[in-house]
Amino acid sequence: MTPRIIAANLLVRLRTFSRERSALFFTIAFPVILVLVFGAIFTKPEHLNFDLPVQDLDQSTASAQLLESLAVDGVFKTTVIPPAVDATVYARTHKMNLVLVIPRGLAAAQARRISKVDINTSVNLTYIYDPSSTSVTTKLSYLSAIVATTNQLMTGTPAFITLVEQSILSAKYRFIEFFVPGIIAMAVMTSSLSGALNMNAELRQKGILKKLATTPITRTDWLLSNILYQLVLAIISTISILLVSYLVFDVRLHLNAWLPVYLVLEVFVFVGLGMLLTPIAKEAESATAAANAFLFPMMFLSGTFFPVEMMPGFLQTFAKVLPLYYMNEGLRASMIFMDNLTIVRCATITGGVAAVVFIAGTLVTRWDKGT
Amino acid sequence: MPHSTEYAIEVEALTKHYGDLQAVNGVSFNVRQGEVFAFLGPNGAGKTTTVEIIEGIRTPTSGKVHVLGMDIAKNKHAIIPRIGVLPQGFSSFDRITVRESIHYYAQLFGCPHPDVDGLMHLTELQDKSRVQFRELSGGLKQRLGIAIALVNDPEIVFLDEPTTGLDPHARRAVWDVLLGLKNQGKVVFLTTHYMEEAELLADTVAIIARGNIVAIGSPAELIERHAHYMCLTLKSVNATTAATLRQMNYEPVEDHRHNIKVLVPHTDDVYAILQSLKSAGNALPGMDVRKPNLEEVFLALTHESLRGDALADGDIS
Repeated sequence: MTPRIIAANLLVRLRTFSRERSALFFTIAFPVILVLVFGAIFTKPEHLNFDLPVQDLDQSTASAQLLESLAVDGVFKTTVIPPAVDATVYARTHKMNLVLVIPRGLAAAQARRISKVDINTSVNLTYIYDPSSTSVTTKLSYLSAIVATTNQLMTGTPAFITLVEQSILSAKYRFIEFFVPGIIAMAVMTSSLSGALNMNAELRQKGILKKLATTPITRTDWLLSNILYQLVLAIISTISILLVSYLVFDVRLHLNAWLPVYLVLEVFVFVGLGMLLTPIAKEAESATAAANAFLFPMMFLSGTFFPVEMMPGFLQTFAKVLPLYYMNEGLRASMIFMDNLTIVRCATITGGVAAVVFIAGTLVTRWDKGT
Repeated sequence: MPHSTEYAIEVEALTKHYGDLQAVNGVSFNVRQGEVFAFLGPNGAGKTTTVEIIEGIRTPTSGKVHVLGMDIAKNKHAIIPRIGVLPQGFSSFDRITVRESIHYYAQLFGCPHPDVDGLMHLTELQDKSRVQFRELSGGLKQRLGIAIALVNDPEIVFLDEPTTGLDPHARRAVWDVLLGLKNQGKVVFLTTHYMEEAELLADTVAIIARGNIVAIGSPAELIERHAHYMCLTLKSVNATTAATLRQMNYEPVEDHRHNIKVLVPHTDDVYAILQSLKSAGNALPGMDVRKPNLEEVFLALTHESLRGDALADGDIS
């Protein structure tokens, strides 16, 4: 290992990086955009706003009260359909995936219930829906909750069972706080793996690796300088992600020494993996394909965007062989839950993978085209 | 353990096979200290494979290579700091400037204070110091490659096709740099398919075809040894000239400018031809008589064209 050679390589890579706008974009802007987009989608569900056409066939004070309840927490923006039209035809022609019909007799039934003339009387609200629509399930769950509350309100019956929350954590964490460590791990993985793979394929294609073979640089110098370079990029993108998360979403995360430890380990793992794949992906095009073949399954199966527990059992088992899973678990354990056991366990596993991949990556790195 | 001090490079029974393909087929030669050695051959003849084995980039199937008295297979790390290499189709980091590129390679060789300005001056790149590699023309890229090959002040410089793809002006500029290296007394190992380049620069030329060396010696020796004839060119001839020559049992070759080239064994035969043409009433607007060049020697030895492109049409003035 020669520090002078490693420093010279690092300087060339950093100069190239600073002169390449697309590299700047993918390192800083891309993860930041992901945080902003996913943060906006998932962090404030109270800002969800669905259109809900309602046909009021009862035209009574009771139906007006129901209409008011539907719109009260802002999830639904109700619009009234004339009583004379066919609601199903209306839903089809207006491409609405959920239409609610308040039946005739709502007020009368409510009166019988309140006056205890008939305590079992009830009415059916009909919802006309498009089962192929993905957002209908979400709308229906909100609608059910609103109907349950309105039931109590309109019949004058107070709730018997209510839920009271008590968190095992000192503070309640939001989705964005679950999401930020995942995005950090994903951004570092993407840039390390595809960065190492693409750079090697490009340099090989241009013959620069062949020229380097005629200089005193060693494979270890080369791998270490790539790792250092990717570590600089990892630090830049992590700082960008954290800055945006704090400024825009006011996240509350624990920032401690485990974050840089995990960044170093992850860069070792994925630059090493990139080096391992380099002999397979000799050209830039096949390098991108090879990188994607690894990146996408890891991105979606390692708990970056949603907890692994939400996946089917066999995929949960599969997730546990992916290095990104331990990055996600470890980073969340250190940044959210402060779970020392998980932090150390995940760091040890990631460290072991890093050592194996680094040594294997050094062994397979070749300067020339063939033997 | 030093092998020899007389020769900078010794190659013995070198072979390289890629599956069934025999790229290099038992090649042996020596390169003396201080000489410019040219490997001349068409594309695919085995030039680059041989030179890359000598540089330590490739491993041979069999055979021995000693560079500066050391076995390349065992002493690569001791040899590398003492040689400089311009690989075929040299390329560098796109967004790194000329000065930064030279400095980078100097760092790899452990030269803390490289003479970057001196190298840029030698390769006439002073004005391009701050230009990024991607913005350089082909000729300037090759000159930067040569500057980088010299960054460690090597004892042997390997230049693999340094002028391929360059226009005549750029090619001449590279030749000037190579002549400068020759004057410095460095060993220069040149591979080329340009005969003029070998003839102008080389002390020794090895002609390689299909993985075999078919002739080796100085350009003058090769011509003397393998070309026992004169080359007579008759310019802007009329239609009957070729017929007259055929009647005299010669094999005239006519080009599109109506110039006829004919190979004649002796100077006396030139007089006989001119006399016959004059008697037959053929006009002779112009002519020249010269000894054959390396390309004609190459054709005679290998029966294959030296290169695919049309240098013969005079793209080097």
